[in-house]
Amino acid sequence: MQVTTIDGITRVVLDGRLDTEGVNAIELSFTATIVPAGRPAIVDLGAVTFLASLGVRMFISTARAAAGRGNTLVLYNATPPVAEIIDTMGLGEIIAIAGTEDEAIALAKA
Amino acid sequence: MIDRQLLERERTSFMAGTDLAGAALGDRRHCLELVSGDDTGRRFPVAPGGITIGRAEPAEIVLGEAAVSRLHCRLALRDGGVIVTDLGSTNGSFVDGVRIDRPTLLPVGGILRVGHQFFKHELLTGKQLQKSAELDRDIAVAAGYVRALLPPRLDDARITADWVYHPCAKLGGDVFGYGFLSETQFAVYLVDVSGHGAGAAMHGVAVMNLLRQRVLPDTDLADPGAVLERLNTLFPMDQHADMYFTIWYGVYDVASRRLDYASAGHHPAYLVASPRGEALPMRTPGAMIGAMPGRRYVADSIAVPAGASVYLFSDGVFEIVTREGRQCRLADFVPLLLAPMVAGEAESQRLYRTVRAATRSNEFDDDFSLVVLTFK
Repeated sequence: MQVTTIDGITRVVLDGRLDTEGVNAIELSFTATIVPAGRPAIVDLGAVTFLASLGVRMFISTARAAAGRGNTLVLYNATPPVAEIIDTMGLGEIIAIAGTEDEAIALAKA
Repeated sequence: MIDRQLLERERTSFMAGTDLAGAALGDRRHCLELVSGDDTGRRFPVAPGGITIGRAEPAEIVLGEAAVSRLHCRLALRDGGVIVTDLGSTNGSFVDGVRIDRPTLLPVGGILRVGHQFFKHELLTGKQLQKSAELDRDIAVAAGYVRALLPPRLDDARITADWVYHPCAKLGGDVFGYGFLSETQFAVYLVDVSGHGAGAAMHGVAVMNLLRQRVLPDTDLADPGAVLERLNTLFPMDQHADMYFTIWYGVYDVASRRLDYASAGHHPAYLVASPRGEALPMRTPGAMIGAMPGRRYVADSIAVPAGASVYLFSDGVFEIVTREGRQCRLADFVPLLLAPMVAGEAESQRLYRTVRAATRSNEFDDDFSLVVLTFK
């Protein structure tokens, strides 16, 4: 997990499999990176190869916690297999989803 | 099926600390983990004096299946490793897919096949074993509870239903059910709770009990959209340990041969007509249950020709990693639905067998739940 700041937005890059083991390895730091920062966050999924239900749950919980502080969480750049899971689960109804980083930044600032 | 008495003896001796106590406790210990069948996840320490696998006692690990010889193979500790020797079995012993004809090293992480059962060689500390045994016991109880609530296979004048439920070692949150709501209406559903473990299973059972006992308040169970909306009201994830679930719910009307269905966060079920030419996806858009308060769910319908089958399954059926390390998707599985049926074998078993053979080490990472309905 890589974290940078772009124009007042937290940018997190995730990689690998977000299955049980993958989520257990990053969940605490993922949430701790995004929620207390008190600013919008964008999450690059371009290197995530698999998204299990626990990963979806981590995104929903973090997005809700961020929203509670008035901030938006945006997922973007999902690969086709991960985009398929996001679409099937209807995750786009709950969390902002973008194609590119520019779109993600625009959504995060909106 | 693993001999239950033996399992209990293993656990009893383990919990009493007689087998692993003293100098061995805290040291790494060779174990076999069953990675197939109903007892997936069971672990068997390889005793210092060795251990025998067979169809009957005096074998220490008893596998009750015809393909296993009475005394099939023996595992011994030698030079810090585990050596497998076939005891002249009829169907052979296989180490990492190769039939052995002499004492053969089973490496850590290697797979031993005996009959239709697969064991993985693990090296665990005593503490890991103890924790594993406690978790295994809880998980096994939860899996047994779920299994006891699943419906019997059905061979009715109008519908046949068969299924496979193979919980993964960690136990996912899959549950499913079906049954007649009235003389002419038949309901079927499959639920997949996020996450793994007893908590996910408990959540699934809570949903299942409402549906199987038909006590969903103020809801017409023949209206799939209404059912999903009511469940979404009853199971918000912020009141249920942050767990959500996906669901596919359908109601078949025998008189009109129409199937009404709705789904929430779930991939499609498929209708395959007879003769088998196309698998028609059945899915309605909508987020998973529990994540969006107040969301509306709308049903869709499809005509069901005589002889058609409906395949309803969890994502554990297709989200497998193959022996080559490739992550599979739904599109990899759907063509299997159109493959020829096998005479004398239930469709659910055919698909289970086919998918399992493709998995890495014959091991599922998630629950495998598959229901096949055929409408006469």
